[in-house]
Amino acid sequence: MSDNQEQSFWSKYIFSTDHKVIGKQFLWLGIFFLLFGGFQAMLIRWSLSNTGEPLPWWLLGDFLYQSDGGIISPDTYNQLFTMHGTIMIFWAITPILIGAFGNFCIPLQIGAPDMVFPKLNMISFWTMFLASVVLLVSYLLPEGTAAGGWTSYPPLSTPVGGIPGQGQVFWTLSLTLAGTSTLMGAINYITTIVRLRAPGMEYFKMPLTVWGLFLTSILNALFVPIIAAGLIILLLDNVAGTQFLIAGGKATITGGDPLLYQHVFWIFGHPEVYILILPAWGVVSDLLSVFARKPAFGYKATAICMCAITTLSAVVWGHHMYTTGMSPLLGKTFMFLTLLISIPSSIFFFNWLGTLWRGSLKFETPMLFAMSVMWVFGLGGLTGLYNATITSDIYLHDTYFVVGHFHYTMAASVLFGGFAAIYFWFPKLFGKQMNSAFGKVHFWFSFIPLNLVFFNMMVMGYAGHHRRIYDPTEYEFLAPVLGLNDFMTISAYILGAAQCVFIANFVYSLLKGKVAEKNPWKAATLEWTLDAPIPHGNFASVPTVYNGPHEYSHPDLKDRDWISQSEPMSS
Amino acid sequence: MKILNRLIKKTTSVLPGIWFLDPPRNVSLDGYRIDNVIQYTDTVITIYFGIVVLAMLYFIIKYRSRPGHSAVYDRGDTKKHVAISIAMGLLVFFSIDVVIEGMSFRDLKEAFWNFPTGSDIVRIEVMPQQFAWNFRYAGEDGVFGTEDDLVPSQNQMHIPVDKPVIIQIAPYDVIHSFYLPNFRVKIDATPGMINTMWFQATETGKFEIACAELCGNSHYRMKGYLTVDSEEDYNNWLQSLEEEGLEDDEWGDEDEEIPIRWGWAWKESI
Repeated sequence: MSDNQEQSFWSKYIFSTDHKVIGKQFLWLGIFFLLFGGFQAMLIRWSLSNTGEPLPWWLLGDFLYQSDGGIISPDTYNQLFTMHGTIMIFWAITPILIGAFGNFCIPLQIGAPDMVFPKLNMISFWTMFLASVVLLVSYLLPEGTAAGGWTSYPPLSTPVGGIPGQGQVFWTLSLTLAGTSTLMGAINYITTIVRLRAPGMEYFKMPLTVWGLFLTSILNALFVPIIAAGLIILLLDNVAGTQFLIAGGKATITGGDPLLYQHVFWIFGHPEVYILILPAWGVVSDLLSVFARKPAFGYKATAICMCAITTLSAVVWGHHMYTTGMSPLLGKTFMFLTLLISIPSSIFFFNWLGTLWRGSLKFETPMLFAMSVMWVFGLGGLTGLYNATITSDIYLHDTYFVVGHFHYTMAASVLFGGFAAIYFWFPKLFGKQMNSAFGKVHFWFSFIPLNLVFFNMMVMGYAGHHRRIYDPTEYEFLAPVLGLNDFMTISAYILGAAQCVFIANFVYSLLKGKVAEKNPWKAATLEWTLDAPIPHGNFASVPTVYNGPHEYSHPDLKDRDWISQSEPMSS
Repeated sequence: MKILNRLIKKTTSVLPGIWFLDPPRNVSLDGYRIDNVIQYTDTVITIYFGIVVLAMLYFIIKYRSRPGHSAVYDRGDTKKHVAISIAMGLLVFFSIDVVIEGMSFRDLKEAFWNFPTGSDIVRIEVMPQQFAWNFRYAGEDGVFGTEDDLVPSQNQMHIPVDKPVIIQIAPYDVIHSFYLPNFRVKIDATPGMINTMWFQATETGKFEIACAELCGNSHYRMKGYLTVDSEEDYNNWLQSLEEEGLEDDEWGDEDEEIPIRWGWAWKESI
């Protein structure tokens, strides 16, 4: 490692092998796409409430879709929700939580000098960058980008599906590249955690953040190759004239099967939900402990429950396919396995409450976001029960109920977990403190409108509103939801505007923020023993770990209420 | 701003009624079963979520950081703590999951997967395509794929009231999903396979059929109508089809990619 050598700008900031720099690169990429995908959500909301009306200036109406007179057409609408989903999942949440905080936290929290494979780490980011370029270029295609939904079920996503243009090809290529990047990251994370833990850092002394990222990486390493296989046969069907996934009246070769793709997609797709949420769970578990000033309640049980959920997540994909005419035996099995997940989920949720119980709660911005994850994940998890049950899912499948449910679990929980992480680690990432007043404004103006949007999605779905409908006025049975639709749109605009507060706070704090103390939150994990900026190579000498990650308010501590993991308890 | 004002006005006019929207009126024999499972789940999760929220509020007030208050060091890993948290997990599992699983299995066995048998059953073949619904009735001989099959104009489905209806469905082009909000049923139509479903109407009227699976740019207006007739009206309608219904060979334009003949021999066991 060239720790002490003078590095050029390029090797220091662009093609860096330092995990902290790569983490920041992922953070920039993730925030860019978060705003990009979020803006598309605003366009979707506009179209739902003002179908066929030209976009107003504040949604860039003077620039967008000029060939259609600034109007979102049904084709454009399909592209918007396809790319909103794809971008938010694979280009916003994944880079922020797994790419940025995975990279930043894992070596620092386990006491390692860097990732095991620093060059692979760098290649992982640049593969993701390439994937992003391919994705963005697809918007410039004459017929626009992919429009087959984020699930891209064939045959709709193949040439026989009737969607014009090559958007689907670009979508498939860029997702394959993004998957490759994720896979490289996952191998790196797993190996680093297994091989590079500092002396004394047993598995059950790792912060829960690391546990979450570890389990996520295992799922990624196992299941990303499966979706890659699915994407490659989809690509072949699109460009090479094969018909792996085409059947019925449009097929010219027999033997294809669209259901194959659905199985392959959801074998990956269901673990993907947990891939996204496990790091957020870990972050939240740690943060609740820091800001309640007491150890994470039932730390070991929480970690074991996370392992149990990780395992179960691999065998429940069929609950996305109850209406495909699945065999009754298979359906019942998937339903039973899915419902089993509620046991470990309840246990660790109970542990979260236990962490707050008899604590000394400090409501800093990261804590607000961490506690809000309890709220949104509680709602999201409980509403999963309707979708896991075959009979209620027959009615609710492919309605806004499902949309609301997964926005709570995936979008809200993970996004708020990500915000908590950004506010929490900002001082260590950049050496500055984020403004706490603006942080709180951001929190309340995100939390309330977000619930008004996502909860009402479920209300709408319960009223029968099916998904991906360009113009809800087409249906008489949807007449009662139209007012609610407009209400949600306004809430969504407020939610969008609140993110401007976040960006302003972020940029301002970065440039002019108060210089942060070494350990502003008085946290016990290893990264807070280092002075910012942390040099390439992290620790001057390898730390020895004595304590668990959450030693707060220990009765033996006299003048302060915390002790770092690398500090022996004196008594 | 003008648009925003209008939005606000539109919204406030419906505000009182928005919080608890009901699902569309149930007009099927077994739809109540689905409503019951949903209502049970609603009730129990409201209680649990309410408890969680109350606990959080209590903790926020009682344990907020303030001078003179400090946290109690408690790792929550004694046998008692672990036993309580496992008991909580099991309590949730047995009070919600096991109950709804039982209800669901019972309903599937008694209704949704318990296909009616006998002679007094209406059988209909459905073939969705981008972006319309095609229906086929067997005609007088009761056999599909024969000369006397009846094909009404697109998007028009009729069934008699109080009689079990079995549909078999396979699409022409891409995946569609046959969704009857008022009947609480939905079944995917996947190319290359025939799916089946049954339901029974309990009142007459005209109800909407929607496509629930994204199938292209006009997915949003792939709408059909299901008319539930009295026995007599239904027979008259069939009669009128026999007289003026579309013949197979005049069905569809040449420019449109629609198969001239469709329909399949009814599959007795799927």
